[in-house]
Amino acid sequence: MAATGLRFRPGTVFPSHAANPSTQPYHHCSPQRMHAAKGRCRLKAQSSNGRPQISASSFRDVVIDGRQSEDGAPEQGGATVSITVVGASGDLAKKKIFPALFALFYEDCLPEHFTVFGYARSKMSDEELRNMISLTLTCRIDQRENCSDKMEQFLKRCFYQSGQYNSEEGFSELDRKLREKEAGKLPNRLFYLSIPPNIFVDVVRSASRTASSSSGWTRFIVEKPFGRDSESSGELTRSLKKYLDEEQIFRIDHYLGKELVENLSVLRFSNLVFEPLWSRNYIRNVQLIFSEDFGTEGRGGYFDNYGIIRDIMQNHLLQILALFAMETPVSLAAEDIRNEKVKVLRSMRKLRLDDVVVGQYKGHSKGGKSYPAYVDDPTVPSGSITPTFAAAAVFIDNARWDGVPFLMKAGKALHTRRAEIRVQFRRVPGNLYRRNIGADLDKATNELVLRVQPDEAIYLKINNKVPGLGMRLDSSELNLLYSERYRREIPDAYERLLLDAMEGERRLFIRSDELDAAWAIFTPVLRELEERRVAPELYPYGSRGPVGAHYLAANYNVRWGDISSDT
Amino acid sequence: MALSCMRCSAGAGNGAGSVRRGAPPAALSLVRCGLRGPAAAVGCRVAAAATAAAAKAVKGAMDAGVENAVRSVAPSKVENGSPSEITVDDFEDLISLSENDESTVTITVVGASGDLAKKKIFPALFALYYEDCLPKHFTIFGYARSKMTDTELRNMVSRTLTCRIDKRENCNEKMEEFLKRCFYHSGQYDSEEHFRDLDKKLKQHEGSRVSNRLFYLSIPPNIFLDVVKCASISASSVNGWTRVIVEKPFGRDSDSSAALTRGLKQYLLEDQIFRIDHYLGKELVENLSVLRFSNLVFEPLWSRQYIRNVQLIFSEDFGTEGRGGYFDRYGIIRDIMQNHLLQILAIFAMETPISLEAEDIRNEKVKVLRSMKPLQLEDVVIGQYKSHTKGGTTYPAYTDDKTVPKNSLTPTFAAAALFINNARWDGVPFLMKAGKALHTKGAEIRVQFRHVPGILYKRSFGTDLDTSTNELVIHVQPDEAIYLKINNKIPGLGMRLDRSKLNLHYAARYSKEIPDAYERLLLDAIEGERRLFIRSDELDAAWELFTPLLKELEEKRIAPELYPYGSRGPVGAHYLAAKYNVRWGDLTTEHKA
Repeated sequence: MAATGLRFRPGTVFPSHAANPSTQPYHHCSPQRMHAAKGRCRLKAQSSNGRPQISASSFRDVVIDGRQSEDGAPEQGGATVSITVVGASGDLAKKKIFPALFALFYEDCLPEHFTVFGYARSKMSDEELRNMISLTLTCRIDQRENCSDKMEQFLKRCFYQSGQYNSEEGFSELDRKLREKEAGKLPNRLFYLSIPPNIFVDVVRSASRTASSSSGWTRFIVEKPFGRDSESSGELTRSLKKYLDEEQIFRIDHYLGKELVENLSVLRFSNLVFEPLWSRNYIRNVQLIFSEDFGTEGRGGYFDNYGIIRDIMQNHLLQILALFAMETPVSLAAEDIRNEKVKVLRSMRKLRLDDVVVGQYKGHSKGGKSYPAYVDDPTVPSGSITPTFAAAAVFIDNARWDGVPFLMKAGKALHTRRAEIRVQFRRVPGNLYRRNIGADLDKATNELVLRVQPDEAIYLKINNKVPGLGMRLDSSELNLLYSERYRREIPDAYERLLLDAMEGERRLFIRSDELDAAWAIFTPVLRELEERRVAPELYPYGSRGPVGAHYLAANYNVRWGDISSDT
Repeated sequence: MALSCMRCSAGAGNGAGSVRRGAPPAALSLVRCGLRGPAAAVGCRVAAAATAAAAKAVKGAMDAGVENAVRSVAPSKVENGSPSEITVDDFEDLISLSENDESTVTITVVGASGDLAKKKIFPALFALYYEDCLPKHFTIFGYARSKMTDTELRNMVSRTLTCRIDKRENCNEKMEEFLKRCFYHSGQYDSEEHFRDLDKKLKQHEGSRVSNRLFYLSIPPNIFLDVVKCASISASSVNGWTRVIVEKPFGRDSDSSAALTRGLKQYLLEDQIFRIDHYLGKELVENLSVLRFSNLVFEPLWSRQYIRNVQLIFSEDFGTEGRGGYFDRYGIIRDIMQNHLLQILAIFAMETPISLEAEDIRNEKVKVLRSMKPLQLEDVVIGQYKSHTKGGTTYPAYTDDKTVPKNSLTPTFAAAALFINNARWDGVPFLMKAGKALHTKGAEIRVQFRHVPGILYKRSFGTDLDTSTNELVIHVQPDEAIYLKINNKIPGLGMRLDRSKLNLHYAARYSKEIPDAYERLLLDAIEGERRLFIRSDELDAAWELFTPLLKELEEKRIAPELYPYGSRGPVGAHYLAAKYNVRWGDLTTEHKA
């Protein structure tokens, strides 16, 4: 890719400044401010190979002191960005993408000149699109002023173009309209593919040929599924690369945009108290847990083709695992981080069937209400053996993690909705207080919990003396509850990721070799499950999942932290 | 440890040196806290049934016969290390033995009309009684020079008794019952005859039971020896144990402290002397060892490799307020640093003891103290508060106090940097700070960690990486809390970091009231649990660190730096800290966060 972002081209964006920066009048977003400003408005020097030279300098630079400049929207001089949402009438677009774009606009995070285009097959006028979008826009609770003004302004920048997904004609029509809006400014174009995977390649081919930016960058955001296995994923990547450079492909994993997943690296690498503990010497096991408290609810058509392992584990949980377990990267630059993640993934053993438990929810009646089985969903074939629950034990065969079980668990229609990372530490060797703890010393070990959602929190369970004359110990929490500490709303993962894509910050996107490595871990077991037609263990809707998950954990001397002591 | 009277009366003369005798204290605290073993984590505070059993068992433990039983069971517990087996058997043993109900304990508060007795000792005894932690048969005697009847004493005591907020039922009844067991005996402190009279009265109350006697010396230090002499000669228990609780000051320096110890030992064995440091009875000081030794996440960090400095901070927001007579002779270094703060330091820094047994812990503490360099004058800053007017109120200077000599140089504030020359702590400054008439009151331990080497987020932190290091804060009083300051990402699209707290706020987590330090220590003394009391060699080692400095301060008549009443103390404390590249944690970021 052209390696140039919105703000990566001082030569183009600020020709005069770049030519003679010291003599130019101070500019809001000029290069001179690049290092001084604490704000979000920031230039990024980037070399032609797409690797940022200054690591952490996305335009939201790292600042510790809370002094964020309030200088509002970065003025882009001669640049503009157009965001085309392909598949604009779909669910994801309505629920997530447009609201995220508006939130970015509302927060002054979008460039001054921007255009939002919806593209889909259905006939719609701009006005109809705007009506559709406006239904899902909301302002942040903590700053409601001007909400409707802002919405008005935002909607004015939204347009619609209808066309076939495999039609170069439709996209050249789009290109024409985009040019109109870009009005001679340096055009940067972002395509968000919010469409089924079977038409990814069609759209990429048509759009890249006929609607690429002539002088700015053109980027494509794609979302899972990235294939069904190593082969199909490799095939998809090869096809995409026929039309796009690696740098143009932004594979989104929206879990990587979650606040606490972002914070994982901050916790590890900016706190002395954690890093020394981050290895097999101190950590007994790591648990990555995802659960939903609802089933497919009549929308199982897509899901049934993939199953929970492909839908959650191979991507979201595995990505979190990689971030958790990676070695310290050289810098915070995207390529450095992704290099480390790939190393972790490639150090992992291929998942074996013995280390996997699959489940599927069955109908259940509770309190007079009856909940359907997965196969009761009309969009699901009645004999389906697609897992809606899976637990797996994976291992990283490197010096840091040899022998430490990483347990993953993901399921639908469980008793609770949550995503969390649990780090269980080893027991204290030669514990002086063993008489207080009892025979099972592993019950009283420290545990670090990062609750990704809902109700974000970090807590460390420690053994503490219960106040009083006796010497009783209990497990208490050193607690950081986000809603108490931080008043502001936590932005949606999509906001972060969209902004990153516009800024060319690739840290949270998945590189092709990462994807390959991830599939390599899961493909053999997925194939075996299918070839042997392994029947999932049934569990009641709303339960804690199949009991097999406990046996699996017990195999490795682990207790699931979410089900034992606390909530 | 000395579980029972056997030790004292049998004249086990090995004193402090004999470490491994008897049952481990864990057996005792097990008793104290009822069924608190692995199986049933119920404390005596929690379940009334367990409490009664515990109280019985305590009594049982005091029976002369118990020692053998406990001794025979205990070692196997420790050695096979499997905690599940121990409790039940052991516990039943104690209960069965206790059914004889043959022993009694008498607590004699010498100096009963004093302030400490009224404010702390009697209320603590009542609290123990209220919680069923005292043996079934007990008697409390007040002893002082003033003439008073039992009723007058009871009236005096009753004014300061309170029940725990969380269980007020039967409060009045309980008070009545408690007061009925309180008696008074007037006498001179140096009269063997008067103590003999006391002895007679005690015998009346004890009847034919095995008598255990605890004397609490709530009196000025100059009469310690008189009382100990008379009491031990004429009021010692004949068939049970006799213990004496003494409180600071234990001398003014190495010599006088050693003289006091020698004096006490003329009449008492080491095991009979219970030197109280009430800071060691504070909940969070007790918890310090639990934190370190029962959590894997802390111990690996507990060394010079990760810890940059440790701060021990004590502050009061009032001055001597007309009661500076005693204080002026001692000063803040003797009053707070040499004992309370140094004791906390020793517990903080000690190596892992072999067990939780008193002698094992005290051995480790002595090792720390003996590894320390005596304080140098240049590592100490002293201050004295001066008068200050704020918001129309004028606060007096220390020397305005009528009980203080006009030209007194006695420090009301001191800061010191200490070092432990051992493998774990070489080069880590331990900073102490103690002062009166400061802007705040509290006691806390702050552990500042080093900065992250090769930190990836250095751009976020600016040039001074030490401003954003992790810090573990143990808030001893008031408002007990433990928190760990961590760097965290501020939620939002940017990558801004801040320092947040992983917090354990006691008031939020534990609804119960936290017992007063004196309750714990009195109970320990009754039970013979010596873990929280200061052994003679510990005291010697502590004085050795401070004596040269104290002598030098006095000989050179070093003038304290004046600081305004209600301020943050003299600026010299900051220079001292800066010399070792330390910022006082209580004065910097804290209140922003």
